[in-house]
Amino acid sequence: MRLLRGVYEGPGSHGILRVAASLRGVHAVLRALPGEGYFPALYGSRERVGEAAPVTLSPLGEEAKESPGDLARDLASVVRRHPRAETIVLARSEAALLSGENVPATSLAESLGTAKTPRLVTCSWEAPGMRETEAAELALEDLIRAHVRGRPERSPYPTVNLFGPPVFGPSAGAEYAEAERLLDLIGVEVNARVPLGAGAAELARLPRAWANVLLYREVGESATLYLQDEFGTGRVTTPMIGAAGTGAALRAVGELCDLDPKTVQRTIWTELAHTAKLPWYARLEPPEVLQGRRVAIFGDFTYPLGLGYALAREVGLEVAACGTYLTHLERDFLFHANTFTEGAFVEDDPAEVAARVEAASPDLVVGTHLEEEVADSLGVPFLPLCPPAKGTPFVGRPLMGYAGSSVLADALDGVLTRSRKEAAKDQGQP
Amino acid sequence: MTILNESGIPDVLPPLHAASGLAERLPGALVVVVGTQAEAHLVQSLPGAPSPNLPGPTRNPRLMFAVLDPERPPQQGLLASRIAEAAARPRGTELVLLVAGRSARLLGVDAAFEARLVARKLELPAEVVDPDAPHESPGTLSTDLEARTLAALVDLCPERRTSDLLETGSPAKRGGLFGGLLGRGREERPGTQGHPVVLLGGASSSPGSARELAAELLRAGVEVAGAVPGELPALGEGTVVAVLDPNLTAAAQVAERRGARVVRTLMPVGVDGTARFVQDVAGEAGVRANEVSRARSVWEELGALRSRIRGKRIFFAGDTGVEIPLARFLADAGAVVLEVGAPRLDRRFLAPEVQALGPDVDVVVSPDWRGQMERIEEARPDVVVASPGLYVPLVARGHLCRSPWDFLEAGLYGYAGARRVLELLARTFERAETLDALNL
Repeated sequence: MRLLRGVYEGPGSHGILRVAASLRGVHAVLRALPGEGYFPALYGSRERVGEAAPVTLSPLGEEAKESPGDLARDLASVVRRHPRAETIVLARSEAALLSGENVPATSLAESLGTAKTPRLVTCSWEAPGMRETEAAELALEDLIRAHVRGRPERSPYPTVNLFGPPVFGPSAGAEYAEAERLLDLIGVEVNARVPLGAGAAELARLPRAWANVLLYREVGESATLYLQDEFGTGRVTTPMIGAAGTGAALRAVGELCDLDPKTVQRTIWTELAHTAKLPWYARLEPPEVLQGRRVAIFGDFTYPLGLGYALAREVGLEVAACGTYLTHLERDFLFHANTFTEGAFVEDDPAEVAARVEAASPDLVVGTHLEEEVADSLGVPFLPLCPPAKGTPFVGRPLMGYAGSSVLADALDGVLTRSRKEAAKDQGQP
Repeated sequence: MTILNESGIPDVLPPLHAASGLAERLPGALVVVVGTQAEAHLVQSLPGAPSPNLPGPTRNPRLMFAVLDPERPPQQGLLASRIAEAAARPRGTELVLLVAGRSARLLGVDAAFEARLVARKLELPAEVVDPDAPHESPGTLSTDLEARTLAALVDLCPERRTSDLLETGSPAKRGGLFGGLLGRGREERPGTQGHPVVLLGGASSSPGSARELAAELLRAGVEVAGAVPGELPALGEGTVVAVLDPNLTAAAQVAERRGARVVRTLMPVGVDGTARFVQDVAGEAGVRANEVSRARSVWEELGALRSRIRGKRIFFAGDTGVEIPLARFLADAGAVVLEVGAPRLDRRFLAPEVQALGPDVDVVVSPDWRGQMERIEEARPDVVVASPGLYVPLVARGHLCRSPWDFLEAGLYGYAGARRVLELLARTFERAETLDALNL
């Protein structure tokens, strides 16, 4: 038992619901206490899309002996009321898992109108204590396994699948769009975007792609490993953050798709000349602005690693601390983070994270919304670039790709130049 | 008036969302949410009063999460010692609230025992609030945690015995704990009534509205001895308890068990509601009051505002429980109430409210959210008072929406509250008309 001031992740069921709500044609049934159905409210306020959240609560309770409350009957009612749902996902809250209730051996009836029987994905691996990200990863794999049938032929021209963040990810849609734009430039088509906006048809045709590009490894890892084992589809795992990361990812895609390396390199140069402003920013600023400036980074997996590498190597800041709250990815994270910092750590207690950040005495904090307080108390600038983040922009700004590197340059320019001016003012300089 | 039970799954914001709001509104209280990752995430994700644009997560040093490990349930007493350590840090802790629901129970935490241990270690009151405890009538309301907390606070009020009957003034000031709501700085007046009156409720809204109501009662000759939440008044035999919110069945029961007399009347929402409330509370306190002329003059003052909402068709799909008195008032004020959704309806406790609803008002108990959306699409009301899950989808379908929390935050009690409710609606219609007039 731990006494915490906050949490970075939700429970496993929340991760499953995030993946289910990202896909099209999927309806989730949340088996939980009547007072645990907060996903629709959160979906409304975060996504602001106007569609009702594709989630139905099946209330678990002492008094809920009759419908609603009977899980088998609730599943049947969801099929009846959502005839266009091709897949039904069952997520169970921690209270439901702890109550020891078994998943009823039920088969879904045909939905009226379409005369098709929806698939049922029960997420039987769910266990109390499992966290949001890990559950999202496993749920995505299950959903893909449920849809992939047979061995579809490889597409006649090079295509890739994009495995990106699910709903509630910061500017998730913009990340996919930027990656797709860049792939298009090197002549690779996107076969499917997973999970955001993918339907049953996209999931079924995933094996047609020549490679899988992992934009957001924490959620796509298991699914792409399954596709690699089963269909031999190669993976590109380099975070597409910063100009160097993006270039490396594009070159790797080029290799897997048998593209001419020179063509890929030409595209990269063109982008570096026109779109990617981070290298330009690093050269434009006087060295004093950036050299020796310490930054502390904290977040999930892809963002702190990608940002850490870009800030350390491309911008020349000193990454004094870089951490993740994803304890189940500890080894992987430390392996990668140790390449650019000596202050790599894994921690999921916000108070401990704040202590690590403080100990690093940074000039800039890049983190989740929970790190804002420590940045304030240290009086240093803060960039909320890692999920979970506050704010629900109507127009997403990518952090990935070359356009993302320019967004990063803008963000750094804003905080570092301002803090330099303030420091100069404090010292009485004009 | 017809009451139907749809036996559906209503869209209700989890009661637990109110934990961070409680930590803010009850100064001196340390709120510890005991449960799994799920409870902590829920409270953190839904801070404060919900609206379509949920405010970003805020961190309150008086709110903590005891996250239990399902693999290793804690030993008895461990929770209490951790809380005792933590309570020492924020200064001025005067009460510890352990919010422990079903997950904590399933993991073997005896919250009552831990609370007793915390109380002994810190020499402070410590109470358990169970957000999942069943209610007399089935269903969940988003304001249930406040209601349970109020019941716990009533339990903490100092006992009052028959021998104290003549002392009707405020209890001795203790300073600090829940101070500042009522009575602070108010001149003591000799008692003019037979029984002290305690107001119960208003936890979900601004404390100012309870003060207004106390002033309203004072005008009728009834002095309010205190309010819960507020500086905890003595409560027991002979105390008259006036309930402000329709969901406070549990708190009213605790007061009744102590021998207090809970006034069965309308909630002080709207003009007639306030008039009946003041009259009945005064009557129970032994003061004869007649609010008829006051109510008539308030109705006259509201004439212009009433004409702006007359004939407007309103659909209530809220989840706070306050929709019933609100619908009653708006129907009286000339609006057409199409339907009132009640995720839970305690018909016995709310008997006066249910009886006072106009003949054309339909109440749907346990409404199904999809059914509600279909009926809203069909009826095309002028405004929908919508729960958070329905709000954005309904706005996207072209409906004008307000959150029930907007009314609570505006302060809906008393005659002044009636005006604020009408102003809020008039403002809503005005803004919508301005936006619709634009040629996009």
